[in-house]
Amino acid sequence: MATQHSRTAARLMISPSVLLLLCWMIVPLAMTVYFSTLRYNLLMPGSNPFVGWENYQYFLTDPAFLTALVNTLLLVGGVLIITVIGGILLGMLLDQPMWGQGIVRILVIAPFFVMPTVSALVWKNMFMNPVNGLFAYLAEFLGLQPFDFLSQAPLLSIIGIVSWQWLPFATLILLTAMQSLDQEQLEAAEMDGAGAFSRFIYIVLPHLSRAVTVVILIQTIFLLSVFAEILVTTNGGPGNASTNLTYLVYAESLLRFDVGTGSAGGVVAIVLANIVAIFLMRMIGKNLDA
Amino acid sequence: MGRITLDQVTKSFGAVEVIPPLNLTIDEGEFVVFVGPSGCGKSTLLRLIAGLEDVSSGEIRIDREVATHLPPAKRGLAMVFQSYALYPHMSVRKNIAFPLKMAGMDKAEQDKRVDYAAGVLNLTDYLDRRPGQLSGGQRQRVAIGRAIVREPAAFLFDEPLSNLDAALRVGMRLEISELHERLKTTMIYVTHDQVEAMTMADKIVVLHAGVIEQVGSPLELYHTPRNKFVAGFIGSPKMNILEGPVAAQHNASAIGVRPEHLASSAESGTWEGRVGVSEHLGSDTFFHVHDTGLAETITVRASGEMPLRHGDRIFLTPDPDKIHRFDAEGLRMP
Ligand SMILES: Nc1ncnc2c1ncn2[C@@H]1O[C@H](COP(=O)(O)OP(=O)(O)OP(=O)(O)O)[C@@H](O)[C@H]1O
Ligand SMILES: [Mg+2]
Repeated sequence: MATQHSRTAARLMISPSVLLLLCWMIVPLAMTVYFSTLRYNLLMPGSNPFVGWENYQYFLTDPAFLTALVNTLLLVGGVLIITVIGGILLGMLLDQPMWGQGIVRILVIAPFFVMPTVSALVWKNMFMNPVNGLFAYLAEFLGLQPFDFLSQAPLLSIIGIVSWQWLPFATLILLTAMQSLDQEQLEAAEMDGAGAFSRFIYIVLPHLSRAVTVVILIQTIFLLSVFAEILVTTNGGPGNASTNLTYLVYAESLLRFDVGTGSAGGVVAIVLANIVAIFLMRMIGKNLDA
Repeated sequence: MGRITLDQVTKSFGAVEVIPPLNLTIDEGEFVVFVGPSGCGKSTLLRLIAGLEDVSSGEIRIDREVATHLPPAKRGLAMVFQSYALYPHMSVRKNIAFPLKMAGMDKAEQDKRVDYAAGVLNLTDYLDRRPGQLSGGQRQRVAIGRAIVREPAAFLFDEPLSNLDAALRVGMRLEISELHERLKTTMIYVTHDQVEAMTMADKIVVLHAGVIEQVGSPLELYHTPRNKFVAGFIGSPKMNILEGPVAAQHNASAIGVRPEHLASSAESGTWEGRVGVSEHLGSDTFFHVHDTGLAETITVRASGEMPLRHGDRIFLTPDPDKIHRFDAEGLRMP
């Protein structure tokens, strides 16, 4: 859009959708902020008096808050590490010419199409169950004590389940990035005396940096709000061991029926998500520049 | 250093034999050009020498050492790719230093060599840029720089100039020839442009469907092409190949006359025809002559002042000493 005229026209044309999106975003946000300043409990109907920062104070000083915050970061960080490293390794594997490549690729992508609740239930009941789960059978077969994943290592188990869901996404993006690497570059590096490992470090990894950035940014957005997996497996427990911020907000507003504190938690979560976003963009955003 | 011998080398991709058994010796310090039409196996041959492809059978020797199964890095050769294959995320300096870094050379020596190469190739001002910020010609020079810092036994070039515009190509052609004079290193250069081949080579290898048709100096190939294929491939515009009665007059199955060895006239001559398209280059004019009864078209070079137009009558007279005769197999007859 080069001319003044076409720029003006373009602004006019996109304004309706911008306005719509703005309302779409602003209205719920404003409502949440508004509710967060009220004493608003569904168990105590009646007037909902304005209480200022009380809900925030209550939410932030709740000992569960810090646990939830740490759990959220551990969950996001853990899944990112597993999916990025696993995605690079799987991508390299799938990039090799092999028999039945098409089928294998579909199999690898499949977990992404399974709904979070379903996959979490499958993991919970078919794999991790200490009595009937496959892992328990395996442990017994090896003569070991079955491990009760969800009660002994709840957060780790959830990290595992969520990683399983997101690994296909990372693999897919990283695989396409790998396929776009100019083979002549690799050959040139080979002629330059770079072994397989050096080629990976100096040629493949830098080439992947942009794709890795995209994977990290997109996944972070979704991982900050992991909920279904926790709800159907551990219910945030034992205690608060696997409660993240999203789950804490849910617990406040729908288990304790405290809409006010729940809203305050939501606002806190928004602020924290933005802090994470700014932090991420500072750290890896430059990879996206051409 | 720099003598390369191919002994009965073959290459097949699956069932397709791209290179039937092939013998070739490239001497130390020679500038050898592989030419041939597209798909004739030039790149494949170069990649076999480089070690980027495995030979199906036969032996490759570099400096009398058997290199057939050596990995590319161990052969001491450097290659310049058609797409340049620069590392986009590294600065020009890092690109050029990469092979030295991989060889574990110390930093001071690396810098010395990079600075020397940059000086030779006029890249000193660009050392801190990324490849993406360079022009095509500069990128090409970086690729060459990356090759020369290693001081290889031989350079391999795969159509290095085909991505450049005509003017730049002429310039780079001279620079590469100059570089060869300066370094005296063996160079193997692949191209399908016979002008590049003629102007740069000490020795031209003409390939056709994986088979070496002829090996010789540029003028040898021009004056005494071994067969019809080489005769048609070397020289621009192409040699006119005439068959039938006119060839029989010369006791041959076909005769070849180059456009520059035909005298043209508006009044009289041996063969008569009608002017079709004429290409005016200023100094010369190429007429495409039809209706001679000898061949579909005969191309002739005339002086730039020849005042003939489309549809005019033209008479052609071949220079009797410059007629090439070919037998039924297409081989040259003495
Ligand atoms: N990896 C491969 N698998 C199968 N066939 C191949 C492969 N690489 C090359 N070929 C075939 O080998 C033949 C020679 O290819 P090559 O690339 O050497 O041609 P070329 O002479 O370099 O042509 P050009 O001038 O177009 O670059 C072609 O017919 C090509 O189809
Ligand atoms: Mg080629």
